[in-house]
Amino acid sequence: MPSPTPRPGDPAVGLRTPSRPPAGAPTVLKVVIAGGFGAGKTTAVGAVSEITPLSTEEYLTEASADVDSLEGVEAKQTTTVAFDFGRLSLPDAPVPLELFLFGTPGQDRFVDLWYDLSRGAVGAVVLVDTRRLESSFTPVSFFEDIGLPFVVAVNQFDGAHRYHPEQVRAALELPASVPVVTCDARDPNHVAGVLLTLVGHAVKNAAAGPVRPTSTTTLQDA
Amino acid sequence: MRTYTLTRGRTKPRHLLGLETVLDAGPGRPGPAQAEECEEILALCRERRRSVTELAGRLRWPVTAVKILVSDLLDADVLVVPVTAPYAASDTDSDASPSTQLLAALSAGLKRKWPDAIAYPQAG
Ligand SMILES: Nc1nc2c(ncn2[C@@H]2O[C@H](COP(=O)(O)OP(=O)(O)OP(=O)(O)O)[C@@H](O)[C@H]2O)c(=O)[nH]1
Ligand SMILES: [Mg+2]
Repeated sequence: MPSPTPRPGDPAVGLRTPSRPPAGAPTVLKVVIAGGFGAGKTTAVGAVSEITPLSTEEYLTEASADVDSLEGVEAKQTTTVAFDFGRLSLPDAPVPLELFLFGTPGQDRFVDLWYDLSRGAVGAVVLVDTRRLESSFTPVSFFEDIGLPFVVAVNQFDGAHRYHPEQVRAALELPASVPVVTCDARDPNHVAGVLLTLVGHAVKNAAAGPVRPTSTTTLQDA
Repeated sequence: MRTYTLTRGRTKPRHLLGLETVLDAGPGRPGPAQAEECEEILALCRERRRSVTELAGRLRWPVTAVKILVSDLLDADVLVVPVTAPYAASDTDSDASPSTQLLAALSAGLKRKWPDAIAYPQAG
């Protein structure tokens, strides 16, 4: 069946014409993937990234005693932190988008990096390895404190006892509003699902009013 | 290679660059005064837009070193920060949370890319 010839004046045709992409680069959005040692951060980034996850190094200035040697080059004490970077493009989104994924370890010496990564981010995924549940406490309270929307994704490691998401919620003392889901970080459909859950959660948060990382948000927890 | 040698002792970038700041190749060319390493940055950005983090990861240099060299290249128009599609730039403040419009677009884009992705029902 021949389709009707598009007329230039037809607004519906103009909207769907793929030959005229909007001028300008895709908008960049970012998501932080945090978790303890070996929780599956690199695996999760790699599952949906279009590039092999890159390990990137940054120096953080720190007053802590726990510092790596920097060959005495800088006067201040610095510590090297490595984090993962992955990206994926969503050219078929209503607005051309590129999503950056930053995988970052869960120790509190990374806090400066988390601030950087969280600024303007969609939200965060806290990957939980139930064998080391305690390593999730630091990132969870960090994202709670700064008011960044986050979801908790429980990795199902082979041989590990499988906890129900609600057990993990109770152990991490998470409010009912924070989604807790199970996932296999190796499966792109799972990781994409976690990202979708996060976006849904972020939309809900945004609808509930702008959350500002100020003291007022941490005081009231009704 | 350490930040110090790469940047000849400089420790602070002149431009305010984020980890996610994206760079594109511009009309300028690296001058003789610029570090050899600038050519490597330019070569990567010629292939496609690259974020500060991606450049650092690929070149295996610390982020700060990349930011310092990228600052030089921005001053010489060797690199430019690409302009994003106008309708997406609803927020003048790049530190602000993404708009609900952008979040909806992200959701739609993810669903199109992974139709079999399982999004969990929202609690609360
Ligand atoms: N069964 C199972 N194994 C997983 C899952 N996610 C990751 N793994 C495995 O667990 C190991 C650690 O995963 P990584 O992605 O390297 O974890 P990481 O958090 O990046 O680790 P570090 O960067 O060392 O802290 C790897 O061998 C993965 O294949 C999962 O969901 N299920
Ligand atoms: Mg890793």
